[in-house]
Order: sequence, then structure tokens, then C-alpha cells
Amino acid sequence: MRKNFLQSSIKDSLFTGLIALALFGPIVGLRTVAKNEVLVVSPKWFIVLVIVVVCALGRFLTNLYIYNRDQKYGIQSTIGKSITNFLDTKGTQIALSAIIFSVIFPFLPFTDRYLMDIAIMMLTYIMLGWGLNIVIGLAGLLDLGYVAFYAVGAYSYALFAIHFGWSFWICLPIAGIFAAMFGVLLGFPVLRLRGDYLAIVTLAFGEMIRILLLNWYQLTKGPDGLTGIPRPSFFGLPFKSFPDEGEQTFHTFFGLEYSPMQRIIFLYYLILVLALITNLFTIKIRRLPIGRAWEALREDEIACKSLGVNPRNTKLTAFAIGAMFGGFAGSFFATRQAFISPESFTFIESAIIVAIVVLGGMGSQTGVVLATIFLIGLIEVFRDFESYRMIAFGGAMVLIMIFRPRGILATRKPTITLQKKEAAK
Amino acid sequence: MTTKLLDVENLTMKFGGLVAIDDLSFSAAKDQITSIIGPNGAGKTTVFNCLTGFYKATAGSMFLNKENERLNLKKFSDFKVAQKAGVARTFQNIRLFPQMSVLENLMVAQHNKLMDASGFTILGLFNASSFVNKEKEAVEISKYWLDIIGLTHRADDDAGDLPYGDQRKLEIVRAMCINPHLLCLDEPAAGLNAKESAELNKLLLFIKNEKKTGILLIEHDMSVVMEISDHVVVLNYGKKIFQGSAKETKNSPAVIEAYLGTEE
Repeated sequence: MRKNFLQSSIKDSLFTGLIALALFGPIVGLRTVAKNEVLVVSPKWFIVLVIVVVCALGRFLTNLYIYNRDQKYGIQSTIGKSITNFLDTKGTQIALSAIIFSVIFPFLPFTDRYLMDIAIMMLTYIMLGWGLNIVIGLAGLLDLGYVAFYAVGAYSYALFAIHFGWSFWICLPIAGIFAAMFGVLLGFPVLRLRGDYLAIVTLAFGEMIRILLLNWYQLTKGPDGLTGIPRPSFFGLPFKSFPDEGEQTFHTFFGLEYSPMQRIIFLYYLILVLALITNLFTIKIRRLPIGRAWEALREDEIACKSLGVNPRNTKLTAFAIGAMFGGFAGSFFATRQAFISPESFTFIESAIIVAIVVLGGMGSQTGVVLATIFLIGLIEVFRDFESYRMIAFGGAMVLIMIFRPRGILATRKPTITLQKKEAAK
Repeated sequence: MTTKLLDVENLTMKFGGLVAIDDLSFSAAKDQITSIIGPNGAGKTTVFNCLTGFYKATAGSMFLNKENERLNLKKFSDFKVAQKAGVARTFQNIRLFPQMSVLENLMVAQHNKLMDASGFTILGLFNASSFVNKEKEAVEISKYWLDIIGLTHRADDDAGDLPYGDQRKLEIVRAMCINPHLLCLDEPAAGLNAKESAELNKLLLFIKNEKKTGILLIEHDMSVVMEISDHVVVLNYGKKIFQGSAKETKNSPAVIEAYLGTEE
């Protein structure tokens, strides 16, 4: 049996190498170079050889250590097992320590401007992930156009703030309501669709919003984008180095030295609070009848109908509430950047958010955080490698899918329990 | 004297040129178990789908008689039949929410009243006491039904992890959690062993006698049909060929012919 297994995995890896050769041979190996005004093929067989060997060896090792059910030969790494166990059982503890860490993060000695910017970006993605988790994770509606609501939130915030001069705290709920309205707008035509078909329509919806923003020049300034979006102020106290005559600013009011970090730290806490509100809201609503109906709808729509659950209202609320949080995140994005253009709301953003939700483990709140740190963090770490960082991004996804096929945190906890001791855990 | 709970009058369902149900009339009583039997493809499940709003009947009417009103089920579209008229159903191939716990399955069945109590979620978000009490009440109802089918100890396990027979029973009590007037069961004994179908019989008799809920039953398992039904309607090719008591049905030449064919 041992020998058989070894044989078959060698065969399998050779086959993988062959496929890699067929794929990478023409793509990587044959490069056309202009020489004396003619195109000449310059072969790069060495790189192809390296890729093929890496693929074959990788396949061999995964065969040996991961797919091997025969424990005698394959050593299921103890580290992997303990990580799996840790993730499965310690979800709450991870979440709590993450919250504490994120609260003290701006004041840690090693925290600088660059890290703060990354942290703010990650928190934005986490918030978007949590918002989308309602739609995908709970209600099971695969929404590939989530960035549309992010865009609607950002633009409605920007337009209201620029034209009416309203403050952040007034524009924020307005942006949320606008985004929710667009959520319902998307929800109505797709009520009857499921799975792949729903994904296609939502994808198209996301693109429609982007193209609308690009072409409605009178309102959105098209590709030029909106500039001069007011920066948020700390309860009316702006962050400025040189205040106007008689104007109170954040640093004069508190008697501090001016530092641009003050605004960054404020923005950081702002998005942290917004994200945590999203999280608390989702945790709470999951335990309410509507949340349970969302999950039931994900499991079986026909059974839901037979029990008198209204599928239309249930789906529309999922779309609307998910979109609302996307809108909130959008307003934050607008006020942080002070400049927005349709460029920021491309399909790749939707794809990243969906990836975060799926890789985190459908419906898992902590999973979203872990997936964001993993994916966005990886992109940042590999920033120096320019476009090669997308390889790291793709590789990370593949790795998660190999080791945790149902997402990083896949265990679902019941929303209500009968046994008291279960509930206390 | 038994009161009529359900009156089906001249029900016809056509799919294009195919006549699935042809001018079917029958009635079911309030405290009786009415079985609908017939060979495969006779149109039994189609009758259920018309009754529960999954199909829109081509012609005919279906009346549900409540204490003081007479509802035409044809006027309700899919989920409203369960919500407004109180007609619950189960499915031929079990349709539980497999990744939700047993208790959650029963809580979803009580969705509408809980949704009202949660003030369309807003009161619920702030833990209003009216909602909390209503939720406790719903848990008690769920627990009551779980005690009856003996699954209380598994309340917090995923419904999909239950053994097949328990899933069947759970689906039936889940339907009962919407507090229906009429319970439509589509082959509840399919795939059950002798012991499990005996338990099923007990459960159905309990629902009939204690809960006074009318039961409409599609079943192939004749041991179930003959033992518990008060009234049998036999369909073949969408037409009613016989109705009567279980004993009469067993001896009816028309029924025997439909199932076994005629002697040459």
C-alpha cells in the first residue's frame, strides 16, 4: 500500500509538471523581442524548467502531506493541526484580544504613519467584509457588485458635504440610507435569481454604477473625480496646523503641539468604531428572527416559503442592510481621501471583499478579520515587488483553500441554544 | 359529527397539454387523517403543491373552513398560504435547514409571530421585554415538540446531523410549530424502518387527537395508510377513482385494478 501510494503520487506530480509545461511553456517560455526591426522569439526555457519543477514538487508534497489519508505515511503536521484546533475553539478569545490590540495600536512604540495608513485601510476592508457578510454569509446571496454601494456611499457623502456643507455626522446616515435604497433597487430585479445567475446580475449592477459615475459629468465630474471633500472634525474641532483667526482647532483646544498624526489617529478610531458597530449589529441581528430567516433562506428557500417566511422582504432587508454598511464605509473612504473618482470603485474591489468573506469562512465575523489581515497584509508586505504581489495574493487564496476549504473559521455557532451550559460557553 | 375542514372542488391543473389533475373534488375533515394514495405519477404531490400555493391551479377552488371564515386557498400565493391561512406542509425529500440547529429550525417556523414581536427588528435590537418574552415562549413551544419526538437532548446539534428518521419527525413538528389548521404530509414514512413508522403513526395520531389538526397524507407505505387514516382518496392519472374508509379501499376492485392491473 505504501509503495502504491508513493507510485501514484509520483505519477500524479509528473502529470502536474506536464500541465505546468503546457501552460507556462508558451506563456513564459516564448518571448518575442524586437531585433533589428523584426520580432524574434527568444526562448526562456530555464525559467519554464524552474516553474515546472516547482509545480511538480509542490504537487508531490501536497499529495504526501495533505491529501494523504493514510496517516502511517503522510505526517499531518502537528503545527497545522494545532492551528486548526486553535481556530476552531478559540474564536471568541481571538476576537477579544484583537479588539484590545486595535484600541491600543496607535500608541504602540513602533506605530508610524505608514502602519497607521495600512491599519485604516484594513479596517475599511474589515468593515466592508462585515457588511457583505450579511448578504453572502448569512443570506447566502452571492453579491459581486458590493463596491457599488461603497461608491454610492462615498459619492452621496461627498456631494452632500461639498454642496450643502453638512458635517460628517449628518452626511454619514444620509449616505447609509442612499446606499440602502440602492440595495433595494438591486434587490428587486434579482429576487428570483440564485447562485451563478445572481452573481452575474450583481456584477453587472456594480459596473453600471461605476459607468454611471464616470459619465454623469454634471453631477459627479466624471473621471476628474470630486475634490475638496471636507475633512472630518473632532466634534466641530478641525485638524489644522494654522487655524484662522479666533478659530478653535483640535490641538489648540487640548493644548497640544500640532501633528498630522492627530488626524490620522482620529480617522483610525473613527473607522474602528464604525467597524465595531457593524460587527455588533450583525452579531445582534443574527440572533433576531430576521437573522435566522436570512440563514434559513440560505439553507432552503422552498422550506422557508412552506413555513410562511416572506422571501421577498427577507432578501430585500439583507440587501438593504448590507448595502447600508457599505455606504457607511464609503462615506468614511470619501472623508479620508478628500478625493474620490470612479477609479476607486472597480470590480477588483468587489472581488477582494468577496474573497475576504469567502476565505474568512462564510458568516464568520472573526474570519473576516483574519482573512483581511492575511490578504491585505500580504499585498502590503509584498508592495516592493510591484505587480508580483498579486501572485502572493493568489497564492494566499490557494493556500487557504487547501488547508481550510470552508474558510479560515468555518464553525457556525447556533443563534439560540437550549442547554444553559452551551449558551454560557 | 365531523366538520369539513378542507373542500377541494373541481380542482384542475394543467402543464401545457398535460393534465396533471383532472376535475378533482374531495374534502378532508377537521379531526381526521385523510390519505391520498395512488400509483406513481397520479398527481398526488401536484395536489399538495396547488393547496400550498407552490402552483397556481388552472381551475377549481380549494376552501379552508376555519371557525368563522371560509378561505379560498387559491387567493394566497406561496408563503401566504402558510402565513395567513395556516396550511403547513412537509416535503417528499426532507427539506430541513441542515446547517442550522434543531432548535433554530423550529424557531424559523415561528418566524412571523416573532417578527411581529420584534417590532420589525427594531424592538428586538434593543432587547425589548415584550420580544424577549415572546422569544422565550417560542423556545418553550419548540421544547414541547422536541419532548414529544424525543429529540430534546439534540436541540443544539445541526439538523443535518440527525439520523434520517429523526429528520422526518423534525420536519413534521417544524410544520406544527406554525400552528396550522391543516397539515399536509408528503410521504412521511418514505425510507423509515418498521419501528420508525410505528413511531410516526403515534405522532400523527397525537397531532390528530390532541392538537385537533386536520392531516392530509400522501403515502405509499400501506401499513401507515391502513392503520391510521380515517378516510382514503385514491387518485390515478389525476382523477379520483375511489374514496372511502381504509377498509373499503382495500377491497375496492377499481383500486386494485389501478395498482395491479386487470386480469386478462
